[in-house]
Amino acid sequence: MANQTKGGAAEAIGGFFKAIGGFFSGFGTAVAKGDLFVKLSLLWWGAGYARRKQYIKAVIMTALEAAVILFTIFFAMDYVPKFGSLGTVKAEKVFNPDTMKSEFNNYDHSFKILLFSLFSFVVWFAAIIVWMKNMMNVYKLQQMDEAGEHINTFEEDLKTYVGEKFHITLLTLPVLGVIVFTLIPILLLVFVAFTNYDQNHMPPSQLFSWVGFTNFITLFGGGGLTSTFGYAFVRVLGWTLVWAFFSTLTTYIGGILLSLLLNSKKTRAPKFWRFLFVVTIAVPQFVSLLLVRNFFADNGIVNTICDNIHLTGFLKDIGLVGTNYIPFLSAPGWAHVMIIIINIWVGVPYQMLIATGVLMNIPSDQLESAKVDGAKPFQIFRKITMPYMLFITGPALVTDFVKNVNNFNVIYLLTQDVYTTTDQAMANSQAQEVDLLVTWLFRLTQDYYNYKMASVIGIIVFIICAVFTLVAFNFMIKGDKEGTYQ
Amino acid sequence: MRKKLISMLLCATMVATVFTGCGSSDDTDDKASSGTSEQKDSGDKDASGSIKLTLWGAEGDQDFLKDIVSKFESTYSDQKFDISIGVESESSAKDTVLTDIEAAADVYSFASDQISDLVRAGALANLDDVSEVLTKANKKLDDVKSANVPDSIEAATVDGKMYAFPTSGANTYFLYYDKSKISEKDAANWDTLLAAAKKSGKKVGMTLNSGWYLASFFYGAGFTTGLNADGTTTMDWNGTSPDGIKGTDVVKSMLDIASNPAFMAVTDGKLSDTLKSGSCSAIISGTWDAGLASEVWGKNYAAIKLPTFTVGDKQVQMHPAYGYKLEAVNAYSENMGWAVLLAEFIANEESQTKHFELAEQVPTNVKALEVDAIKKNIAVAAATSQADFGVIQEVGGKYWDPAKTFGEMIAKGKLKAKDDAGIQKALDNLVAGVTAALD
Repeated sequence: MANQTKGGAAEAIGGFFKAIGGFFSGFGTAVAKGDLFVKLSLLWWGAGYARRKQYIKAVIMTALEAAVILFTIFFAMDYVPKFGSLGTVKAEKVFNPDTMKSEFNNYDHSFKILLFSLFSFVVWFAAIIVWMKNMMNVYKLQQMDEAGEHINTFEEDLKTYVGEKFHITLLTLPVLGVIVFTLIPILLLVFVAFTNYDQNHMPPSQLFSWVGFTNFITLFGGGGLTSTFGYAFVRVLGWTLVWAFFSTLTTYIGGILLSLLLNSKKTRAPKFWRFLFVVTIAVPQFVSLLLVRNFFADNGIVNTICDNIHLTGFLKDIGLVGTNYIPFLSAPGWAHVMIIIINIWVGVPYQMLIATGVLMNIPSDQLESAKVDGAKPFQIFRKITMPYMLFITGPALVTDFVKNVNNFNVIYLLTQDVYTTTDQAMANSQAQEVDLLVTWLFRLTQDYYNYKMASVIGIIVFIICAVFTLVAFNFMIKGDKEGTYQ
Repeated sequence: MRKKLISMLLCATMVATVFTGCGSSDDTDDKASSGTSEQKDSGDKDASGSIKLTLWGAEGDQDFLKDIVSKFESTYSDQKFDISIGVESESSAKDTVLTDIEAAADVYSFASDQISDLVRAGALANLDDVSEVLTKANKKLDDVKSANVPDSIEAATVDGKMYAFPTSGANTYFLYYDKSKISEKDAANWDTLLAAAKKSGKKVGMTLNSGWYLASFFYGAGFTTGLNADGTTTMDWNGTSPDGIKGTDVVKSMLDIASNPAFMAVTDGKLSDTLKSGSCSAIISGTWDAGLASEVWGKNYAAIKLPTFTVGDKQVQMHPAYGYKLEAVNAYSENMGWAVLLAEFIANEESQTKHFELAEQVPTNVKALEVDAIKKNIAVAAATSQADFGVIQEVGGKYWDPAKTFGEMIAKGKLKAKDDAGIQKALDNLVAGVTAALD
């Protein structure tokens, strides 16, 4: 069965390339075999439609073509030619006392050049696809015309968008959203990682330029004697993975155990208990996290209690603590464990709700027949409940892991202003032992305007999440497991 | 499936091109009007001809600014204004401004330690270039320079050019103490101060894990920090100061203080909370805690300059970082001239006096400082008594994190007073981190 899935994946990838090949060959055929007007459509997008009397379509395509050309001349040409250097003219200004205004030269803005060039590339790529597809359409019209088939009027064409082509109507906006809000920002991030966009090169007063792979080399340990980015990166990455693993695991197991407990027939008033746990969801997470941070601060309430019951003194005597307080959130080790524990408290209710839903749906015949066969509760849990849970919630587990890799809230809110690293090499790279890659990235951009390194880290986070997701999904969803539960 | 995908893409791209087609003409218009130098006089005035300005100030200063803006408008009554006031704290102004300089306010207030980063990013207007406009206020830039305390002008100057108007000073820290527990004589040096605090069963609070507070020990011993033209920081703390004091000895004295049971290392930003909790009989903080301190200690509230500390057999005076609040003019302001006039107006003598009345901000204007109310203010007296030896802290962005970590190491006792090599190595690491090239 596994082989079949792998074959399926290969087939999917092959199919994708075949589709691209088919697209190009379709375009080739159209150009080669099309009549004069089809060939003319290469230059004038509306020509083919005009010949087949689809005048409105011809006008729309002509307008579209004109729009692309105008866009290219009046917008793209201001930026794209400077894409190679990201600008050469620095801002200079002269104050004019008569107008009471500053007069600027026509300076280059590196970031705008980068952004608008990228935008132009996306538009042009789309225009080329439209242009090729257009050729195929007009060639098809030619074929239909030659075969004497009915050619749709504009009105009939429009109707198909609420009929058989309704999916296009539905998907247009989401696809557009993905391009504008996801694709362009991601591409921009990738581009910035290859520039020296940082504190010393901030538009509009300064220019930045391409630097190749320098930033990646810096991150992986190169970049001179004073740079400790490599040192910090390994440690931050390590903690990110440890955190993601344990936070996912603990809340998952905790949620299942809690829901088993609440679902047990011996538990009284399960609804009341469930309500109590769900209340923690109702309180905004950041409020509870900030409160907890204050509880566990170096001179917070928990430390006062520990001091009064002489726990602090005891820990000091046995050498676990070197200060007059317990550094719950301010020393490495302590902070790491505390963060994971606090996260259990924040995250378990969600997992409990999910687990409750799944547990209610376990086929009762299986449980009953297991009981008849004399299985003990733990055996039932291990052999039936847990595999069933894993099967149902597997994909959610993967996304939870990815979410935790990027779990900004918990880490930032618990450690910001409380934790100070005592590792000088970490401090020299603006990192801390409790930082995740995302919180480090945030500090680099927010406090140090180090956009280039932040972009590199962003790419690394993306790669980690993408690889993990692909591997985990491939491993878990093998397609044959479903049969086990039918 | 393939067909669906392609048609989906096609459809999306079609709509995309239509939108961008429409958008493009707007963008080019926009560029033509704002990006080039052929700006017409009326370019940024709306139909009624009023000048649009944005002004940012701290949340506690909003009433003050509203008052000042209305006075400004009546002073220049032949010109219509449309001035909007926004909230932006002086301490975080740099972060907000540098995110997008062109979108930042025309005039804003910032703490003087941010000036080097702002100047390097080209965010501040060079006042020497625009000084002609001050003739409208019947002033010259030199008048402004002579009207304010010389140090405040120095704090607003980078490489000999003035970039901002000083508005308030004494942005520093000193010792608040409880007269009933600690005598003025005890407060003079750390040894007697800690002994007195111990006797009263209370503590002395100070923030160590911040480069702002930490530096006072080193500055006191004659060490310096400085700023290079490329934004990197210079630092000599790992050597011997001109006063002949070794950096390791300063650290040893600090470790001595930090390990005293009567000393409380307060996390950065938690000074007010600590003061409020009542566990301290003395605390090192700034004028912003004056109200709180007098509330906590009542008639026993007192303030004095920072104490001296013991190095070997010598007593060394701590030299605090001494900062100012400055009024900036955005280098990319659309109405540069009026923005300069507004900033100057906020910084003039009358406004500074008003600012002290409303928000207890210590003036930098020499005449405004002569007011009785200012002279009698306990906290202000303590703060300004340090003006002579206070240090205008010149550091770049790379200073803060390594210095913070170094302070934390002292506070947490990670360094041992007997381990000379360990202390030297930590100082070397600190200097390496602080003086590193920007990346």
